[in-house]
Amino acid sequence: MFRSFLVAAALAAVVPSAMAQGTIKIAILGPMAFVQGENHWAGATMAMETINKAGGISVGGKKMMVELIRADSNEMTSVPDAASAVERVITRDKVDFLIGGFRSEAVLAMQEVAMDNKKLFLGAGAAHDELGMRVERDYNRYKYWFRITPTKNTDLGRTVFAVLNSVAGEIRTRLKKETPKVAILAEKAAWTEGLTAAAQKNLPAMKMEVVGVWNPSAVATDVTAELSAIERAGADIVFTILSGPVGIVTGRQMGERNMKAVAFGINVEAQKDEFWGATAGKANFVSTLDTYSEVEITPKTVAWVRAFKERFKKSPTYNAATYDAVMILKEAIETANSINSDDLVPVLEKISFVGNAAVLEFDKRHDPVYGLGKSLGIAVQWQDGKKVAFWPPQVKGMQPFRMPGD
Amino acid sequence: MYWLRRLWSELRNEVFVLPSRMLVLAWALGLLALPAVYADPYVMRILTLTCLYAIFAASWDLLAGYSGQVNFGHALFFGAGGYASSMLSLKLGVSPWLTIWVGAAVATLLGLGVGYICLRLRGAYLSLATLAFPLIAVGLLLAFPGFSGGELGMFGVSRLTNNLIGNYYIAVIAMLVLVFGMWLIADSKFGLVLHAIRDDELAARASGINTPRYKLTVFAIAAFAAGVAGALLAHYLRIAAPFLLETALSFQVVIWGIFGGVATIYGPVAAVFVLFPLIEWFGGFQGFGERRLLFFAVIVLLVLLFMPRGLVPWVRDKVETLCPRCKQRNPGWRAVCRLCEAPLSATDRPRSTAPRKA
Amino acid sequence: MLQDIIITGLISGGVYALLAIGFSLIFGVARIVNIAHTAFYMLASYGFYTLLVKVGLNFVFAGVLAVAGVTALSLLCYKLIIEPLREHESAVLIATIALALVIQELMLFGFGGHFLGIPSTLDGAFSVGGVSVAYQRVVIMGVAAAMLIATWTMLYRTRLGLAIRATANDLEVASLMGMNVHRIALATVAFSVLLAAIAGVVVAPVYVVDPFMWLGPLVTMLAIVVLGGLGSVKGSLIGAFIIGFVEAITVFALPAGAFLKGAVALSIMVLVLFVRPEGLYGVAFEEEER
Repeated sequence: MFRSFLVAAALAAVVPSAMAQGTIKIAILGPMAFVQGENHWAGATMAMETINKAGGISVGGKKMMVELIRADSNEMTSVPDAASAVERVITRDKVDFLIGGFRSEAVLAMQEVAMDNKKLFLGAGAAHDELGMRVERDYNRYKYWFRITPTKNTDLGRTVFAVLNSVAGEIRTRLKKETPKVAILAEKAAWTEGLTAAAQKNLPAMKMEVVGVWNPSAVATDVTAELSAIERAGADIVFTILSGPVGIVTGRQMGERNMKAVAFGINVEAQKDEFWGATAGKANFVSTLDTYSEVEITPKTVAWVRAFKERFKKSPTYNAATYDAVMILKEAIETANSINSDDLVPVLEKISFVGNAAVLEFDKRHDPVYGLGKSLGIAVQWQDGKKVAFWPPQVKGMQPFRMPGD
Repeated sequence: MYWLRRLWSELRNEVFVLPSRMLVLAWALGLLALPAVYADPYVMRILTLTCLYAIFAASWDLLAGYSGQVNFGHALFFGAGGYASSMLSLKLGVSPWLTIWVGAAVATLLGLGVGYICLRLRGAYLSLATLAFPLIAVGLLLAFPGFSGGELGMFGVSRLTNNLIGNYYIAVIAMLVLVFGMWLIADSKFGLVLHAIRDDELAARASGINTPRYKLTVFAIAAFAAGVAGALLAHYLRIAAPFLLETALSFQVVIWGIFGGVATIYGPVAAVFVLFPLIEWFGGFQGFGERRLLFFAVIVLLVLLFMPRGLVPWVRDKVETLCPRCKQRNPGWRAVCRLCEAPLSATDRPRSTAPRKA
Repeated sequence: MLQDIIITGLISGGVYALLAIGFSLIFGVARIVNIAHTAFYMLASYGFYTLLVKVGLNFVFAGVLAVAGVTALSLLCYKLIIEPLREHESAVLIATIALALVIQELMLFGFGGHFLGIPSTLDGAFSVGGVSVAYQRVVIMGVAAAMLIATWTMLYRTRLGLAIRATANDLEVASLMGMNVHRIALATVAFSVLLAAIAGVVVAPVYVVDPFMWLGPLVTMLAIVVLGGLGSVKGSLIGAFIIGFVEAITVFALPAGAFLKGAVALSIMVLVLFVRPEGLYGVAFEEEER
């Protein structure tokens, strides 16, 4: 039994080591069988093609090509596998940099392995604050971690309340209601707890009334019970904090019940192109925070989103920010004139990089700096089968927000 | 000098006489010597995980294979060990060297509790009821996020040592000690009683055996070993989260156990040492790695069709024969029994030692 | 609120009953703990999705074809995988787990890790006592009720049903009485998977179809079957409605604890087992001993 493993290990050692000299190897880690991983890979592929077509990255006077290693982290099923995948790409594939990750608990474990090996790890999926807090607490160990996307949970909350406020404003003017009623529908998960608590605290101050909190499971297939109760409570806004398939069920069942309340919040499934089909076209007016749309968040956004759709026949999700991650690496490498992670950290700390959905600058937790014109995010709404952006109003190309009955 | 000679004679008389035992010895020595020859961090990591899962699988076998209490929720003990140890070391700052034992103790207590509930259950009822316990535990963990850390669990737990090879040795030695310990238990009179209970509990009770006591004890021992493995894994990965209690993990251990061959202890260990690195190796192929679970399932199905009693019993029967007279094992190439010199004919393959009814 | 609980409980109870009765029958007749049972339910949902959305057949056609296809496939799996292993109970157990994993991974491979939606068979909703009920849910209830009646008729009014009940009661005696227990086992597998496939097809337009949709109902179904008593059709039926209502009550009475509904249902199962180890309608172990 042991020998069979040695054979396996020996084979594993031989297969990927056919590496070319003079390439920069970047591992893209993600759940490759899932949408998140697909987008990780798609974004990075586009960046690699762009860079290599233009001749590569110049380091020390010579041009180096980018080589991507596609590494399935299997993080949806196994956290230990995700950590092993990091170790594998570092030791076996001898990668120079790591990009990706999605589930917070998996990324927490992956981060440890990357830091053990002192490799630059650019996060493109996990939102938990702790990932950045570690950098602040133990800088020397965790300084190799930078978060490209999304903004940390706390900032996500700031955006979501800002949008909620503008949605409430719409309701006040249209329905002549001074204090709109809000039902909080949050899937049961660690990341929703902070937002739920903040909503209960902040909404009364924002002149909204919280009529209740409902916590379905993230994989619930039926929220009829929750929705009937919400209807009974007379809510005007259903504040969704959902990342799992329950987001689809919610959108669909709200439509099927012809609910008068409008859904806004975070609904990760509603960010995907497939959402309309998955809800059988029932999810009109469902709105959510999002990352990409054909609006001018930065000068690069519109052209890039179009190019992405052209290349992959679907819209990018936020995980496709691996594109920005590869590009920011290129800029940092060329500035530092080195591919050594230790040399790149100080450069990245000072960088100001115009990405596709944000102007990236990093704070002392290596989190993207939050704010309009930096990293903020947008809000989108499904209107008759199309996902259109409606917030922030300062950005060019925004559409008006609509409500059921319009 | 005496001990050396004693050791040598033990080795010559008990180990070198059988190919399977020689294989086990070579495997143990190989594991211990590996870092000196090939201290690759990736191989170290995979083998560390393999060793921890091997403890877990062996503990399941002690419970399910020997006493017939086919536990479908074994991850409960794995997770309990991991959570209890991590919580204590993270919140109170106690050294993980101590908290691991607390984790194992918590797992043992849970083992007694589950065992007690299961005393009145048999067969499939027991299996399906035990499936519920880790799920209820996850529900409780999620219901009290302030206490348990919710979905993300306990993270940033300290490691036993930050040294790669140190962690490897901790896992290997824990595995060798616990697995050998469980094998000794299973091979003792205690194990014999468990066989009897599994095959016919009424008869065992009629023979004056206090069956509930035995069933509870084996639950506690298995939970203890699984708890140690879970605690070690949590400290190694520096996180204890609900993934330690997942149904998938409970199923995984059932698969390892049966794939390797139940009621052997070494069977499930061998299964983990074959399957875990193999699947991880599959996972390393680009664009192909995400299909690893499919390969895993297909391999398990195919192997089962050829070796329905499990991998190890099949291999053992190929290389060894059972003496028809004194029931001792003999290398397959011998014509007469090594102990009683009765002729060993090829037709006298050992009869099934697998449990009649799982 | 009471009306909500009644309607939600009836619907989920009906779906659970379709799954649990089939599982219970297979266990009773063939002593197989078929972990892959809900995987067939998932397969039917995917089949229905493919035929309806991709191929463009109409509802009835797509539904019937999906159910027939899945049932035929289950017989093939039984012949190829389970029957050769029948003598090794533990091997059968992990074979069904592995089979479920294969089905899950094939769906993941074929359709990706997406959540798929299926258009409703019947659009719209009506209101009963202030509760709005979608027609699709009425369809589910209707089909579940019809299938439950059909099952009862089959078991208690036909020769095959008699044979199935006899085999479930005592395999050896049934065999001695000249029944072909292998054929009966085959028929039971087909019938059970048929029920699961029908459940998969009717719920697909309401639920979300994804490669992991078999896990949730699996655990609930196992809880129901144990609660009601393994091998007992009556027990499974009553257990299904108990769990269906318990889940509905949890969600309505404890809005912030909706995620707990699974854990609460399982705790009820454990409680029942504590009082009656053989489940509500199971056969006491002492009687089962030879």
